[in-house]
Amino acid sequence: MDFDDTADEAAYRAGVRELLDQHAAELVRLDSGEEAADAAQQERALRQTQRVLAEAGLVGVSWSREHGGQAGTLAQQAIVNQELARARVPTLINHIGLGMCGPTVVAHGTPAQHEKYLARLLRADDVWCQLFSEPASGSDLAALRTTAVLDGDEWVVNGQKVWTTLAHVADYGILLTRTDPDRPKHAGLTMFVVDMHAPGVTVRPLKQLGGQSDFNEVFFDDVLIADSERLGEPGEGWRVALTTLLNERVAVGGGGNDLGLSIESLATLARDRVPQLPPDRQVLARQAVGRASVAALANRYTGYRRYTAISRGGLPGPEASAGKLAGTAAAKLVADAGVRLLGDDAVYSRGPDSDDGRWQRNQAWLPGIAIAGGTDEVLRNIIGERVLGLPPEPREDKTAPFNAGSRS
Amino acid sequence: MNFELDDVQRAAAAGARAFFAGSASPGDARRALGGGPVAPGRKALADIGYLGIPVPESAGGGGGSVLDLAVVAEQAGAVLAGPSLVTAARAAVLLADQPDLLAALADGSAAFAVLDGAGPSIDAAGADSFLALDGGALVVGSGKVTAGTPMDATRGLASVRLTSRTVLAEDAGERWARARDTALVVLAAEDLGAAARAVQLGVDYAKVRTAFGRPIGSYQAVKHALVDAWVGVEQLRSLVWWAAWAADSAPQELPLAAAAAKAFAAKTLERAAETCVQVHGGIGFTWEHDAHLYWRRAKVDRLLLGDEAEHLDAVAGLVLAGALDR
Ligand SMILES: Cc1cc2nc3c(=O)[nH]c(=O)nc-3n(C[C@H](O)[C@H](O)[C@H](O)COP(=O)(O)OP(=O)(O)OC[C@H]3O[C@@H](n4cnc5c(N)ncnc54)[C@H](O)[C@@H]3O)c2cc1C
Repeated sequence: MDFDDTADEAAYRAGVRELLDQHAAELVRLDSGEEAADAAQQERALRQTQRVLAEAGLVGVSWSREHGGQAGTLAQQAIVNQELARARVPTLINHIGLGMCGPTVVAHGTPAQHEKYLARLLRADDVWCQLFSEPASGSDLAALRTTAVLDGDEWVVNGQKVWTTLAHVADYGILLTRTDPDRPKHAGLTMFVVDMHAPGVTVRPLKQLGGQSDFNEVFFDDVLIADSERLGEPGEGWRVALTTLLNERVAVGGGGNDLGLSIESLATLARDRVPQLPPDRQVLARQAVGRASVAALANRYTGYRRYTAISRGGLPGPEASAGKLAGTAAAKLVADAGVRLLGDDAVYSRGPDSDDGRWQRNQAWLPGIAIAGGTDEVLRNIIGERVLGLPPEPREDKTAPFNAGSRS
Repeated sequence: MNFELDDVQRAAAAGARAFFAGSASPGDARRALGGGPVAPGRKALADIGYLGIPVPESAGGGGGSVLDLAVVAEQAGAVLAGPSLVTAARAAVLLADQPDLLAALADGSAAFAVLDGAGPSIDAAGADSFLALDGGALVVGSGKVTAGTPMDATRGLASVRLTSRTVLAEDAGERWARARDTALVVLAAEDLGAAARAVQLGVDYAKVRTAFGRPIGSYQAVKHALVDAWVGVEQLRSLVWWAAWAADSAPQELPLAAAAAKAFAAKTLERAAETCVQVHGGIGFTWEHDAHLYWRRAKVDRLLLGDEAEHLDAVAGLVLAGALDR
């Protein structure tokens, strides 16, 4: 047992650091939680950051060469992620494309689609989004209603998606639709690549709990999609979507990175604030800092176990869902301890200096983390049924034709 | 990075599981409450070599690591075995320069207990050789043992007043602290085993017990409670391994890792045991069912060697002092 890099990993890491140093001036730097002043300018800068990293061979590390990647290992990808975090490079703009859409195109796309999309996705020449959730189908994804009807060699799409992260800047999306409402809900679905600039696609940003707009509603009015942009066979959309969801697990299940602000940043804040509190308050504050630290450490070291499994060539199974569940809980404890240390400023949405604002923004982001990519409750169902082997709830919606079921 | 047990450790875990399955059980823990012996008992633990794991080979031990011991301790915890490997771990650190006493620890010819002041100490009830910190010096001696009615008889808790003392080392404060931290790791490892077994008992029952026409495990209130307990167990496993590794390979990280593991163990075992009782319903509240034996272990262990509040405060103190700035 050790926490050291192997000789190969150490050499790889040193190479990554050198590349990041070399390109330092071309990369956006940000503390997680910080907000840039001008959104459009920030988008350009983030696209450029990813392009520079891609050209340096630091994007799509584990993707095969034929798909524009570096044919490296998942462990190497994790090392790159760690080094990017260390260099304070923010999340890559195309994280949804890299984590979910790209792998789905790789697995189910045609050679022509590979050729057309993958290299540009890696360079963030095109930004991607994931068009799954709808107003009436989030957790129950297979209940979605957006329709695609074949007309000659084109599909006509009508319906609405919602909470679509990055849709406002995206060039393409993977779009899950219902193509056969006479079949049971999971059987009548089909996946497409959709051009977000196509006529009939309307994107409306939604304002989130914390006031920012990272996600959107997306409307499809008679949008035409060529049959050649289908991913997988008609009616096979659920199987294709499972590829996306599996990769979502890989994307979040990586190297034990904190989902929220780090314990180290809590330590810095607490070092400053705790001594200013009256003694009885110090006791309580130390309990909160201790509890948050323990939870975050437990999650960090559990991440190292997943990382070890990955570096031996394993794929995270359903147990990786536990990482997001526990990571969210730990991040909430860290944020709460941090915000409370702000004292009177904790009641304002943004403190007078940027360090305060970081804690408040993080506090306002975490409720979304507990919902996005599988709610806490849905993750508990997955772990209970697929890891612990507990029986599922009785369901009648799996077998009846979709259009015969109670759709509300 | 290689944060996983190796093949030898996995084999040792399998061996320990088999040994403890045949030599101790919650049934034994129940009988101990009525005055029966603690199982498997000191001699059996010495004979299989587990008491000697932390003792160097030169003193007749196995020369194992704290991680080796933690792997076995997890299996001991699963069946509520006693006496505790915590005592062996702690005594081995304290007696590092006492080959004769180490040999007696390993072969079980002396029954050690380590005293935390005048309060209840683990395994003191059946012990004859007491180790204590006396004005900064490490002493060994005999003593007068006073035990209350045990809540968990496998822990051998009793208060001891020393009646004789021989100084083994002056200025032993640092060694004492390291021994206590090592003890925290092994206690957390035993709690890990107990918590994992308690969750498993709950899961097994939830699959077969039906209510309102379906298995109770299909109800989310039951399922989610078990999942939360299981997630806690897996997170605790990571802290226990880290802390054991730190004891062996990174002593500067041990105080933080040990305090974190013990604080988390206290909560995790308590939640697992309470969930186990709750999921079993009325039968879980009976004397004959095993659930309460895990519940007893939880209610006692959470308070041993410092409670959650003490260790959370220790973690905070270390974090504030820069323990994470490496
Ligand atoms: C920040 C953010 C970003 C997102 N980005 C995207 C994106 O890029 N693309 C995309 O397609 N979607 C995205 N989503 C949508 C997200 O996937 C859904 O919100 C999520 O799956 C939950 O669906 P819902 O909102 O319809 O809630 P519902 O499914 O209606 O759930 C409401 C409540 O009921 C509970 N519940 C539902 N079903 C069960 C059950 N079986 N058992 C127990 N409890 C249950 C839920 O846990 C929740 O508490 C995003 C969401 C957020 C918050």
